[in-house]
Amino acid sequence: MDYTLTTVAPIVLLPFFAFVINAFIVKRFTKLAVGISCAAIFGSFLYSLKIFIDFLSVYSTNYYIHKVFTWFDLSAGEHLFKVNMGIYIDNMTAVMLLMVTGAATLIHVFSTWYMHDDPRFGRFFVYLSLFTSAMLGLVLSDNLLSVFIFWELMGFCSYSLIGFYYEKEGAGNASMKAFMTTRVGDVFFLLGILAIWSVVGSTTFVDMYAALAAGKLNGIMILGIPLATFAGFSVFMGTMGKSAQVPLQVWLPDAMWGPTPCSALIHAATMVAAGVYLSLRMYPIMEAGHLTTFIAYIGAITAFGAATVALVQTDIKAVLAYSTISQLGYMVIGIGVGSYNASFMHLITHAVFKACLFLSAGSVIHSIHCQEMPQMGGLRKKLPYTFFAMLLCCFAIAGVPFFSGFVSKDRILGDALVMATENKAFIGVAILGFGGALLTAFYMFRMLFLTFFGEPRDHHIYDHAHEEHIGWNSNVPLLILSLFTLGLFYSGSFTGQGEVNLFGSKYEWFQTLIKKPEVSTVAQFTDYQREDLGMTDTRDKVALTKAAYDSTYGLSEEKAHHIHVVHRIGAVLSIFIAFLGIFLAYSMYVKKTLNPGWWTNKFAAWTRALKNKYYFDDLYVGKIIQKGLLPFNDLLSRFDMGFYDKYGVDGWATVNRWAYSVSRWFDNNIVDSGMVDGTGASVRLMNVVLRTIQSGRVQLYFIVLIVVLASYVLTLRF
Amino acid sequence: MISLSSYLFISLVLFLCGIFVMVARKNIIAILLGIELILNASALNFAAYTKFLNNNLEGHIMSLFIIVIAAAEAAVGLGIVIRFFQLRESIHIDDASTLQN
Repeated sequence: MDYTLTTVAPIVLLPFFAFVINAFIVKRFTKLAVGISCAAIFGSFLYSLKIFIDFLSVYSTNYYIHKVFTWFDLSAGEHLFKVNMGIYIDNMTAVMLLMVTGAATLIHVFSTWYMHDDPRFGRFFVYLSLFTSAMLGLVLSDNLLSVFIFWELMGFCSYSLIGFYYEKEGAGNASMKAFMTTRVGDVFFLLGILAIWSVVGSTTFVDMYAALAAGKLNGIMILGIPLATFAGFSVFMGTMGKSAQVPLQVWLPDAMWGPTPCSALIHAATMVAAGVYLSLRMYPIMEAGHLTTFIAYIGAITAFGAATVALVQTDIKAVLAYSTISQLGYMVIGIGVGSYNASFMHLITHAVFKACLFLSAGSVIHSIHCQEMPQMGGLRKKLPYTFFAMLLCCFAIAGVPFFSGFVSKDRILGDALVMATENKAFIGVAILGFGGALLTAFYMFRMLFLTFFGEPRDHHIYDHAHEEHIGWNSNVPLLILSLFTLGLFYSGSFTGQGEVNLFGSKYEWFQTLIKKPEVSTVAQFTDYQREDLGMTDTRDKVALTKAAYDSTYGLSEEKAHHIHVVHRIGAVLSIFIAFLGIFLAYSMYVKKTLNPGWWTNKFAAWTRALKNKYYFDDLYVGKIIQKGLLPFNDLLSRFDMGFYDKYGVDGWATVNRWAYSVSRWFDNNIVDSGMVDGTGASVRLMNVVLRTIQSGRVQLYFIVLIVVLASYVLTLRF
Repeated sequence: MISLSSYLFISLVLFLCGIFVMVARKNIIAILLGIELILNASALNFAAYTKFLNNNLEGHIMSLFIIVIAAAEAAVGLGIVIRFFQLRESIHIDDASTLQN
């Protein structure tokens, strides 16, 4: 495994070239465009698979590949101003690459079925390719600057795909909303990058870690806030925008205006995960900035709040959208409570089962041309494969044992519980987390039961459902994704705890390889060497010692025991909660022993609040935009018209007019009359003089000759 | 014995007469006559100087050349005057102030 930049670059460049070719060359030949996109992403997937296997075969937490090149260098003498770009691959990147390319490949394949009768079939794949290459670029980036570039590129793709059906006004508005809302976070993100740049002199992750370990960030204040807090908060604001955390979550439900496969790829599986991924990369800064409590609470509020809103949604995609927000909240909780590894694992498992859920929903929607769950029902018989895939995914997201969601979410909740027992401030996080888990199980199975169980509520739609139109390219991606909702792929064991043989390891590969960058691990970067992009990799591949992969390594026996006990309680609690939620949904929507209508009447005010999504949109549009931003806008426009336009633009015109008259006078009088006409006049004058001399009268010439000769002779004489 | 200065005085008078004629008269033939006077003045000068200063024949030979040149000049000049008269029916010098026609 000798990696240089050129051997890694095809991962990003294949989809990018597919984008360029499709957008500018192929255009009309839709089938060819689709083929190119799919082949490109599959190629990336194979590359990623190779990298992933190589990293697994090294099996070390310290192993990473970091290649840089200088993008531009404006250094002048002592003053360094050098911007490096490069790639940074560690275990986390390798896993991310595999997840992104894998999910993207399956979604590409699914899209060939879902979009095949769309008039803009080819254009959809143009965006998908661009998006995938941007995401892969972000994952491979070694510095915040290129992360930001790819981040914005994904924002653009997201904008284009949400507004894909641009004939609909809602889609256009939703795309603008998504773009503007994430922009709020992006501005903060940029501020954070600048803050880090100003102190570290580089935005490379490893430079940041090195500066942190060397204590360079200590004692530096920005606006009276410690630098680490400022930078960590700003970058986390970026995460809040991209990963739809409260209060910037409003764009994600509206993003469901886009075609369902793009919802699966962007607004569920990968792009929203980019925010969490960034936070994980920046975790040491956030920890140094004492932001963990804040982050945990943002995550908890998001996880619980979005879950409650999902309870009352009737649109199948809206339920999934809110469940995405909620699950992203769990990842953020994981960051907040220091459950680094579980948070990242939840990112991966969530990407897989959420992609599968969205594709299943797409399958349903495309088959019956309807998104409203109250009009569905009984589709189990019509769409058996879709039902099977969705069932497995619902088990996964609800946190049923043996499924991936349980493995990751249980560990986040367990760590939250551990934090709560140690620090009273985290009790709220644990309660909201477990509450959200209950609601998650409930609303996911509510969706499943309403869609697939019971009697068909709308026979017209039911009879219209045509499974014969469903081809291999819709079902195969679903089934492959649903296979990976099983927990054993991630934990190495069914329950997420204990030992199993997988990938040649006796222990959980995921938990072992993804390591929280604590001070000791961060310190390894203080004397790291940059490797030029052309160099092949020569770094030591230190295999793990046994102690390193013991999860309780370094803890006192008492504390390890305490954690073990709390984790066990947490596991039991979350299993109980998952089944409780499923049971509630079952009794409400299948057995009908509980009447959901009674609950909505009983808590009418709450239901109204939930239906209105906690009035966030009203707040933003009604209060902040109309009361705050629009008057401000007016003020600015008045300033613009009254000052810049009147004095700047018109004033400049006046100055110009004056200058023009001066210039015209100069031109007419000096240049034209004086110089141009003057030349003519002087020539004419010479003409008069010379004409009188050259009269043609021989005698006159003779007289002149005589006079000149005589005067010459006389001059000589005297 | 007639002195050199007498010769030179005669020559000067001839020369000035020639100049005067050339300047004052408008008749081309008269001007040609003026030129003859000037040439004769210079021929007289040559002869006088060679007689009083050199005592050889160089001045006399030069005088003979001048007489020949004067004859040739008179022939060419009169030819031009005749041709001019054919064109303009005039031998007034101011009628010859243009280069063509």
